[in-house]
Amino acid sequence: MSGSLLLQSLILGILLGGLYALLAAGLTLYFGVMRVVMIAHSAFLILAAYLAWYFNRETGIDPLLSLLVTVPLFFVAGVAMQRLLLSRLRPATLTMMSVLLTFAIALTIEGLLGYVFTGTQRRIQLDYSGSSFEVAGANIAVVKLIAFGLAALSLLGLYLLMKKTRFGQALRATIQHPEAARLLGISTDRIAGYGFGIGLATAAVGGTALALDSTIYPSLHWHWIGPLMAIIVIGGLGSIPGAAIAAMLLGVTQSLLQVPMGTTWAQTVFYIALFATLMVRPQGFFGGRLAQRF
Amino acid sequence: MSTRSLETEGLTKSFGGVHAVNGASVAFQDGKINALIGPNGSGKTTFFNCVTGMIRADSGRVSYRGDDVTGAAPHRIAAAGIGRSFQLCRVFPRMTVLDNMLVGVRPQGLLHRLRGGHNAGDIARARQLLGRVGIDHLERSEARDISYGQQKLLELAGVLMTDPETIMLDEPAGGVNPALIGRLGTLVRELNAEGRTFIIVEHNMEMVMSLSHHVVVFDRGAPIAEGDPATVQNDPRVLEAYLGV
Amino acid sequence: MRSASKAPDGTTGTSGTTFDRVLLGGKVLLLLAGLALVLAFPGLAPDAFILSVGVTIASYAALAVGWNFVGGFTGYISLGHAAYSGLGGYATALLIIDGGLNPWLALGVGALGVAVVAVPIGVASLRVRGASFVIVSIAMVLILLLVSQSWADVTGGSSGLRVPRPFSDDVLRPEQHERFFYLHVALVAVALLVWWAIDRSRFGIGLKAIREDEDKAQSLGVPTFKYKLVVFVISAFFTALAGGMYALWFGYLDPIFQFSILIGSYMVLMSLLGGIRSLFGPVVGAVIVGYSLEYFKNQYGDSQFHLVALGLMLGLVVLFMPDGVLPAIGQLVNRFRPTATSIREESAADLLARTTKTEPRQAEEVSR
Repeated sequence: MSGSLLLQSLILGILLGGLYALLAAGLTLYFGVMRVVMIAHSAFLILAAYLAWYFNRETGIDPLLSLLVTVPLFFVAGVAMQRLLLSRLRPATLTMMSVLLTFAIALTIEGLLGYVFTGTQRRIQLDYSGSSFEVAGANIAVVKLIAFGLAALSLLGLYLLMKKTRFGQALRATIQHPEAARLLGISTDRIAGYGFGIGLATAAVGGTALALDSTIYPSLHWHWIGPLMAIIVIGGLGSIPGAAIAAMLLGVTQSLLQVPMGTTWAQTVFYIALFATLMVRPQGFFGGRLAQRF
Repeated sequence: MSTRSLETEGLTKSFGGVHAVNGASVAFQDGKINALIGPNGSGKTTFFNCVTGMIRADSGRVSYRGDDVTGAAPHRIAAAGIGRSFQLCRVFPRMTVLDNMLVGVRPQGLLHRLRGGHNAGDIARARQLLGRVGIDHLERSEARDISYGQQKLLELAGVLMTDPETIMLDEPAGGVNPALIGRLGTLVRELNAEGRTFIIVEHNMEMVMSLSHHVVVFDRGAPIAEGDPATVQNDPRVLEAYLGV
Repeated sequence: MRSASKAPDGTTGTSGTTFDRVLLGGKVLLLLAGLALVLAFPGLAPDAFILSVGVTIASYAALAVGWNFVGGFTGYISLGHAAYSGLGGYATALLIIDGGLNPWLALGVGALGVAVVAVPIGVASLRVRGASFVIVSIAMVLILLLVSQSWADVTGGSSGLRVPRPFSDDVLRPEQHERFFYLHVALVAVALLVWWAIDRSRFGIGLKAIREDEDKAQSLGVPTFKYKLVVFVISAFFTALAGGMYALWFGYLDPIFQFSILIGSYMVLMSLLGGIRSLFGPVVGAVIVGYSLEYFKNQYGDSQFHLVALGLMLGLVVLFMPDGVLPAIGQLVNRFRPTATSIREESAADLLARTTKTEPRQAEEVSR
């Protein structure tokens, strides 16, 4: 492998890892606030990508602007989903049943996308779609950089929200110790709803970023959910920094392995890492008390 | 019979920097009713969980009758002869009362288990134990359909089914009415008279003082005092721990 | 519990009432009627298409019963059981094509091979509970899909693999369907028999205890990991048999359909809808879901609408009927049961105990 190819793979890996990190942060939020593993996360990701594509096709405006609609829309959808569907499940079986319920939602979304937009592969064509620039011999597409920028900005926003605001404080308290949070007068149900909204908003951002440089089709979400699930288990369920670190590491590894092994085999790195984690440290590498029982 | 029962040495377990159990060295007395008391959050339940293998201790040793059982899995601890109940009572809700009892049938080896149906002797013993705690008329009900007090009795009977030499009870009197507390106390005394050792975590001081032969007081994850109930009750360190004077 | 009429200390048990005998008789009658209907189905089916739908449903039933060894006994919900049916299909096909084995021998050897493969998978995935277990089960299918698509030399890759037919070409299409219908039914019957035997055994009691409260079961001495692993391997074996049988009938394997999350979710939906804790739950679920799936595929053809139907069905079952159809019927029947327990005189302590009835399940949830 030549030096510039290596550099290129590394950069692409980091760019991809950024997107993984954002999406994994969303998944971690759901798990944190409600102990729910949200299988439909990547289905919403693809839904957002379709909305961005449709928005661009109908209006001709830059798909990035679709974020103004999709982010609030997804936030509301997330709150509604938590309040209307997930909160109905019995607490004793919540974790297991929520997996099935969100799986059902994923199937419904995939089916509806196929029904409305057909199974045809779609791609956004922009005037800057083909443009790229060179760094030390490595070729980096502009759209990938924009996608990374979006992911990085959103992660930063999420970080500031969690660390600097009163709402973030309540959110963290709910994640770490729901009973204690309730005793402090925090309405954990409401916080859980908002947590879900924010999680789904990350899917909206991620979907738009994805639509910029990928071909999309309804069943694409299966290619995302596996790696994302692997990331949050490896990171330790419930730990946002853990998820982000695992996402970066695995994104880079996948990208580096793509050159010698090809895309398909390179994807197995997620699953190999997942099984290795289970054998060595079932609670994940950054998870604390939370991860042990799930 | 050896007089050594359950012993721990320097047992330590921390959660995210908080030492729930902090270098606890305790020796419980064989054939006696031992009580483990202490203020809320003093690490009693964590101590229980470490001893019975539900949680892996960070460091320290646990031995039972002279055998090292540190870090052994819960079913091995059970096979060694230690049975336990859980705080807030845990039964198998969607199984019948009788099936709840049969979970604890020994031996637990897979080959024994795969060999055919139930042994009439096991069923008879289960019924006898249910009769002893007074809920044999409920054997066909699902455990989730019986009252909380009855569930507590079922849990105790289920533990007895494993024929343990030592029984650890985590807050047996928690959430139950005075009549039932009296009944539980009588059962504990009877079972002790048959030679079973008890280790009881309890907040109900009246029950502890009237029942136990030996009391260990925990504070901040380690024992601060032990002795017979009367001595412990008047120990200044105990008063300090409880009242924060 | 079986025939427990008299307790040793002389108190009367509550079984053996007239109501129970009537109930048992009704169940037996229903079972016999169902069996007669199943056996007569090929004769009643008006055309080869309906017959083939029958085979498909029987195949679903075999998969669902295979799944329910893990799901029903331990409560571990695997969304990735397509891994074992798919492996069973490929193992059977490859043993015939490359190994030159007799098809039926290939089926058995293939399933045994899958059971062996399931051991390390079980060792890894049964270390975690709940959601993590589901994630790992999904990951298994996705890995196998990747591998089977990439490893084209062996699996035929995306262009698929043709499976030689076990019956000679003289046997016409409807006759083929009929034979495979009975073969599938026989497989379901054997699997149900094994499930029933485990359900009655002490092994089964240990497994159900794991489903209800794993920590508690272990504290009572149940070696939980060993138990889970054994039943997991049994489940993989029967699921692989079902997958292999399907491959022999259908005659063609494509990775996308074999290692599909959808197949796994069918198994979950069927078992859950019928009731995972009942012997016949998965079969009842397979009939309902299998029929609906075929109906939707038939009505809406190539569009993805059948996914919406599947998604909505699964969602509704999870939200409103997580215990399944059969337990719901059982509860309904039980309402007519004369209350036997009230006959016994209650002691004062019992009465007192009853007044303190709280919500223990909720309390326990908080403590976790």
